Parts: sequence; structure tokens; C-alpha cells
Amino acid sequence: MGWEYYAVVLLVYLGTDLLAVWGLNLEFGVAGVANLAYIVVVAAGAYAYAVCTLGPSSNDGGFQAYIGGLSLPFPVALLAGSAAGAVVGTLIGITGLKRLRQDYQAVAMLVVSLMIVTLVSADSGLFNGSTGLALIPNPFASLDPQTERWSYVALVAVCCLIGLFVLRRFTTGPIGRTLRAMRDDDTAASAAGKDVVRLRLVVQAVGGAFGGLSGALLVGFIGGWSPSAWAYVETLAFLSCVIVGGRGSDRGVSAGTLVIAVLLLQGVQFLPQIASSPGLSEDFGWMILGGATIVFIWFRPQGVLPERRPRYAKRSSSDPSG
Amino acid sequence: MNDGRSPVLEVLDLAKHYGGVRAMDGVSFDVDRGSITGLIGPNGAGKSTALAVIGGFVRPTGGRIRFDGVDITRQPMHIRARHGLVRTFQMARVFGSLTTIENLLVAAPGQLGERVAGIVLGRRRWRSQERELVDTARELLDTFGMTDKADEPARNLSGGQKRAVEIMRALMMRPKLLLLDEPMAGLSPSLSRQLEDVLLKLAQDGLSLLLVEHELDTVDRLCGKVVVMAQGKVLSEGRMSELRVNREVQDAYVIG
Amino acid sequence: MHLIIESVGFGVATGAVIGLGAVGFSVQFGISNILNITYGALMTLSAYVGLLLINRGVSAWIALPIGAVVVGLVSVLYNRALLAPLVRRGTPPVAMVITTVAAGTILQYVIVAIAGPSSQSYGEQSGQTLHFLGLTLSEGQVVIIVLTAVLMLGLHLLLTRTTLGKAMRATSSNRTLARSCGISTSRVSDISWLISGALCGAAGVALAITTVSFDFSLGGLFLIPMIAAAILGGIGQPYGAMLGGLIVGVSSEVFAAVSNPNYKDIVAFAILIIVLLVRPRGLFGTGSSTRRLMEG
Repeated sequence: MGWEYYAVVLLVYLGTDLLAVWGLNLEFGVAGVANLAYIVVVAAGAYAYAVCTLGPSSNDGGFQAYIGGLSLPFPVALLAGSAAGAVVGTLIGITGLKRLRQDYQAVAMLVVSLMIVTLVSADSGLFNGSTGLALIPNPFASLDPQTERWSYVALVAVCCLIGLFVLRRFTTGPIGRTLRAMRDDDTAASAAGKDVVRLRLVVQAVGGAFGGLSGALLVGFIGGWSPSAWAYVETLAFLSCVIVGGRGSDRGVSAGTLVIAVLLLQGVQFLPQIASSPGLSEDFGWMILGGATIVFIWFRPQGVLPERRPRYAKRSSSDPSG
Repeated sequence: MNDGRSPVLEVLDLAKHYGGVRAMDGVSFDVDRGSITGLIGPNGAGKSTALAVIGGFVRPTGGRIRFDGVDITRQPMHIRARHGLVRTFQMARVFGSLTTIENLLVAAPGQLGERVAGIVLGRRRWRSQERELVDTARELLDTFGMTDKADEPARNLSGGQKRAVEIMRALMMRPKLLLLDEPMAGLSPSLSRQLEDVLLKLAQDGLSLLLVEHELDTVDRLCGKVVVMAQGKVLSEGRMSELRVNREVQDAYVIG
Repeated sequence: MHLIIESVGFGVATGAVIGLGAVGFSVQFGISNILNITYGALMTLSAYVGLLLINRGVSAWIALPIGAVVVGLVSVLYNRALLAPLVRRGTPPVAMVITTVAAGTILQYVIVAIAGPSSQSYGEQSGQTLHFLGLTLSEGQVVIIVLTAVLMLGLHLLLTRTTLGKAMRATSSNRTLARSCGISTSRVSDISWLISGALCGAAGVALAITTVSFDFSLGGLFLIPMIAAAILGGIGQPYGAMLGGLIVGVSSEVFAAVSNPNYKDIVAFAILIIVLLVRPRGLFGTGSSTRRLMEG
């Protein structure tokens, strides 16, 4: 145990955080959709994965009440998690379609996330209410513990590689350019012939797919998931990775995730007074997160590694870079 | 329907009411193909409202709009733009984080890279189209003298340069009718003249223009037909020289 | 039926507090054009300040004005030190909302770090129960309703009868125009934040009084019903916010009484979403606040 286990945890969290932050960056950083409800698509993925891989709810004496319970193999469940994220993301996107000022839309989506948390917590039959789900099977449980752990890291790494490949398709090239135009001025984008409504929904579906996959991978590792894990403040964690790292830049937000998820949140554990009291370290983590977000909005809103646009140097037949 | 001599734009009895205020109250006029038509009138006459409604930014309370023979009254803004009805804004709206040349590229219609196939298949699919678009954009930049600003983020441009970017962007869309909302505003006299020359050349090449402008000398030089609006209605139509001596028009400007 | 009437009574009491908070929120938005999500954490701050005083034997009804003053001052400083400068640098509205969320998070977890995460209580504050008009209310609830009504009346007189009030309304409606009329908009801003912050603080203590127990999530829980009430009434309209508060409060309680009480909070959320989608200017929203709502 000890250091090796800690490294595994760190890597799995880093990988799942990257997927979620990439999705949120696509929505908010690149396309300008301030989805403060993002954590809900992560939760949707987690729950979908759970009810796909768990057995029927009557198992284990029926102490958990939930829908589904399909005992599906984990690759199918991962896809289901991603799909659930995409669907929920699109539904949330529909609430943001009314032409309201951006901050109102943001608050509306925040409220939607709270509403969904309340609904899921209150209805005990859906996903076991506020207690949440547990005993979610680990796909590599049949292997010895060390191989099991590192297999999971490999799984997360593979998903990240695939995710990055897909992500770049959307954040670069003509579509990346169009989405950023929509972010800068969606009325002018409309006037330039872009179907802004369709673009927004597509972005929220794709971003949702990333979030759903993130949630599914995380819950497969942890084995449990409850509404307290997805309070609205969790979106702030991802938002700060985007803002601190570099909004709109894939490299930037990846660096931001590394800095925040790994260095800050985990590094705080090493301060002696804090390490002794687990609750306090979490409190400090949130304070640092909130503080970092504000500091960057004040001093460097473009983030640590700002977005860079491709250059079209004068060549006779050009091939745009980036 | 599209016989080359029919008007490119027909506005029929267009109305826009905001509560009790009648910003437009039964406005009708045509824009002939390949012409530069002016829209003038004192402040509050409803000229900008007219452009906003024709461009699809504001839904009219009543009336119809026919573009190229097709009724577009219910068409959303982006569809009108794709069909060639393009508007520029009073305050030039550029995409600030994109470079100047990207501002042009983004407006090109029918980009393969924006479609599902283009996203899935990647660069191979849209690479050559992109190359052509870049060449077209570079030509435009050369025409407007902004080649050296190609890679500059558009938010760093001056007011006049942003105005030029807007017009270039509109031209990338291969428009049939350009709605220009006070294009000379904030430009120095020499820049204004340059812009006038460009607009005249465009009209010669077949582009139709509907121009809202306050500088009556500019209107006189550029426009064939001029429509005068006051208090939400069309007051008169004709050549600028006729309108200058028209009593009603003079009164409208005094009363405002 | 009796259950419904009882819940109406409850709804009026909670509605009064929601209205109180909503009015403060509305005034803040009117003057600053910012959706200040930190408002929730500030209410929590007030509740805990009150707790500090109550644990030293101070009456809850004294703690209320003290909490109001504390949060009023904190709000002015908060705007001066963080919000106003950010706006001056051209920070876009979404980034402002994120800032207020972040600041609220910091404040909330500072409170947790100091006071601990467990539930707190002001103890028995209700006093005797009273019956009238078929409603059953405790003394405490009646005091709060009366207090809210008095504060609303005071605010009304301030806004309509005093020069300051007129200056506040003018700045709220059109800041640039107000400044060119010689109004010191920064002074008016400070005073507006002081007043709305005081209402926020009063609401925080009032919430702690009316709830059996609370923890660090108190403000956050009630913020959304308050925003719903403010937007329902028409953002920037204090009277609308008051009415909105009553509507949200009563409908929530009645809904909880006739169906699953776990779903009580849903009513406020649903009202907010529906209003934003169907009629964003709410019941009494006027031109200027509506124009600010719709995209520029």
C-alpha cells in the first residue's frame, strides 16, 4: 500500500478530471456556454454506469433500491455512461436556449443542477436516494490487487487518449473556429450564417459525453456514488481548472487540471496541521480553489497557458497550423 | 420569379410596435437588383429598426419581406444570411479572440470542416477547401489594405479596421444584398472615400446594397434611389437631388 | 383542507423571510447589475454571528439587527474591494457570477473551518402559538412577519420619499444618466450595498430563528428560493420581490403538504426556471431591467 496506492489514486483522479475538464472547456472555454450544471452530466454517467454494472436491486438483501441492475460488462457500461452524459447534457442545454443574458443562463443552469440533485436525493427508488449507490463492481476484481489497480490506471489512460483524439476534432479546425466565434459574439455568429442553437446543443451533447465518461470511470474505481459527491460546488472545481489553466486551450486546461487537482488539492494534505484533520483539508482545498479562481479572474483571466490562434504566414499554398 | 429585373428586396407594409411605441408603422419600399439604395431620415425615424427587421434580428409586428422573390418574414437570421441577405452593425462586431483572417474564414458558407463528416474524418476532408478559403480571404485583405493584420487578434484593431473586417466578412458570405448600418460612422474622411469607392465597385459587380447613412453627401454620391423615413413611415422616395428640394423632407428633418 | 390552511400560514412566515432576502438581492442587482451568488454565504455568516451572540446570552431579536449591520458592512467592503473593480476592468457577466460563486464558497468553508460542520440551533424561539384567521402561527413567526412588513414599509418610504431613495432608483435605472445629473453614483452604490447587505443579514438571522436547526448550507439552501422570488417579482423591483417571496413561500409549503415533503424545494426551482423561460421580466419587471436580462 502506501505510496503506490496513492500514486494509483492520483493517476485515476487526474485522468477522470482531465476528461471532465476537457468536456467543460469545450462547452465553456471554446463555445462560451456557461454550464454551471456540468457536474450533473458527470453524475449521470456515474449513475448510468452503476445501474448497468450492478446486479438486480434485490441482491445483497435488497438494501439498495434502484432502477436497472443489468449486470452488463464494463465496456458497455462505459459507453452507457457516456451516452447518459450526452443525453442529460442536451436536456440541460435546452433550458439555456432562451435568449437571456449569459449570466442568467448560467444561474438557470446552476438551479437546474440543484433541482436534479434534490429530485434524485428525494426519490429513493431511483438511485437509492440520498444514501447513494455502493458495491459497484470493479471490472478487474478477479485479478490480484496490484494488477487490478494498475489495470484501472491503464483503462483510464486509454479512455483519455481516445478522448483527446475526439476532443481535438472539435476544438481545432473550422468547427473550433466557428465555436469560438459563437463564444465571442453569438449574435454576430448568427448573422454570419451559423445555426447557433444547433451548435450549442451539439457542444453540450459532446461535452456531456466527456463528463459522463469521466463519472463512469470514477465510479467504477471508487465503487460508490452519492448525491453529496455532486453538489453544485463540484462544478466550481472543474471551472477553476478551466479558468486557471487557460480557457479555450486544451493544453492550458490540462495544465490547470494538473496544477489544481494534483498539486493544490493533494498537496494540501501534506501540511501537518491539516493532515491530522481530514475535514479541514477539504475545507482548505475549497478555499484555495475559490481563491485561485478569483485571483486569476482578477489578474490573468486568460489563464496560465492562454489560447493561441493559428498563424497564416504568407506562403503560396498554405496549410493552417493548429 | 427571379428574372433578374425583379427587385432583390421587397418590403411590404412592415410594422414594429414596442408596447405603445410604433417604431415602424407600415413601411414599404423596394431595393432594385445591383443598385445602392439609401435609407435616410431624422433620428428616431425607424431606419435602424427597419434594418434590424429585414436582417432578421427583430421580429416584425406585421407586414412581409420578400428577398429574391421568396417570403422570408419568418426566416431566422442565420438562414437569411446563408441565402445572401447579410447585415453589418452600427457598432462593428468582430470576433475579438479570432485573428483578422479567421474573422473572414469563419464566415465562409458551406465549410466542410463544420459538418459531421468533416469533424469525423478530420483535416483530410476539408484541407483543400480551407486552402481556397484562405486564398480568397487574403485577396480581400489585400483589397482593403489589411494584409499585415492577418494574424492580429481582431480585438486589437482600430474602429475603422473593425468596420473593414465586418464588410470583408460580409463579402466572404457571397451576399446578394448587403444591409449597411451607418458604415461611414467614425471613419476619417479619407477612409470614408476609400470605402465609398469599394462600395461603388461592388455594386458595379452586381451586389445590391441598402445603406442607412446620415451623411447626405455620401448618400448623394453613392445611392441611386433614396428612401426617406420619418416617425416610422416612408415619407418619400427618389433621387437625392430631388429629395433635397422636397418640402416635406426638409420639414421632417427640422421637426425630427 | 385544514392541512392546506396550516401550510398557508407556514408559507406566509417562510415567505416573509424569503421576501426579505429577495428584496435585498433585487436591490443589489438593480444597483450593480450583478447576480450576486455570494448572497447565500453572507446569510450564513449572519446566522453564525447571531449564534455567537445567542451563545453569550444575547436575545435573538437583538442578534438580528447586529447581524444585519455586520453583513451590511461586509457587503459594502466586498463590493468596493472585489466586485466593483472587476466590473470596471470589463469583466464579463458570466465571470462575475463565477467570482461570486467562488467567493461564496470561500466564505462558506471559512465558516465550516471555524465553526465546524455540525448542526447548530438557536434554541426555542417560537414563544406561544397564536391562532387567527384559521392559521396557526408561533409568536416568533408573527414577529418576523411584522418585522418584514415594517422593513418593507421603511424601504418603500426611503425609495419614494427621500432624495437618497430617488438617487438610488435613478442609479438603478440608468447609471450613466444618473451620474450626468450630478448624482454621486459611487456613494449611492455604497449605501445601496449597505442597505441590501443589511437586509441579507436580517434574512440570515431570521432564517436561523425560523428553522429548527441549521448548518453551513443554510444560506445556500434559501438563496435559490430568494432568487426565484426576486425574478418572479421582476428583478430590480423590491415590491415584486416581496410578493414573489410570499408566492414562493406559500406554494412551496402547500405543495409539500399535499405531496411529498422532500420535494418542497423543487417548487422554488421550478418557478425560477419557468419564469426565466416564459416571462423573464417576471410580474412587474419594467423596461430597463428587462433589457438587461435579454442579450445585448
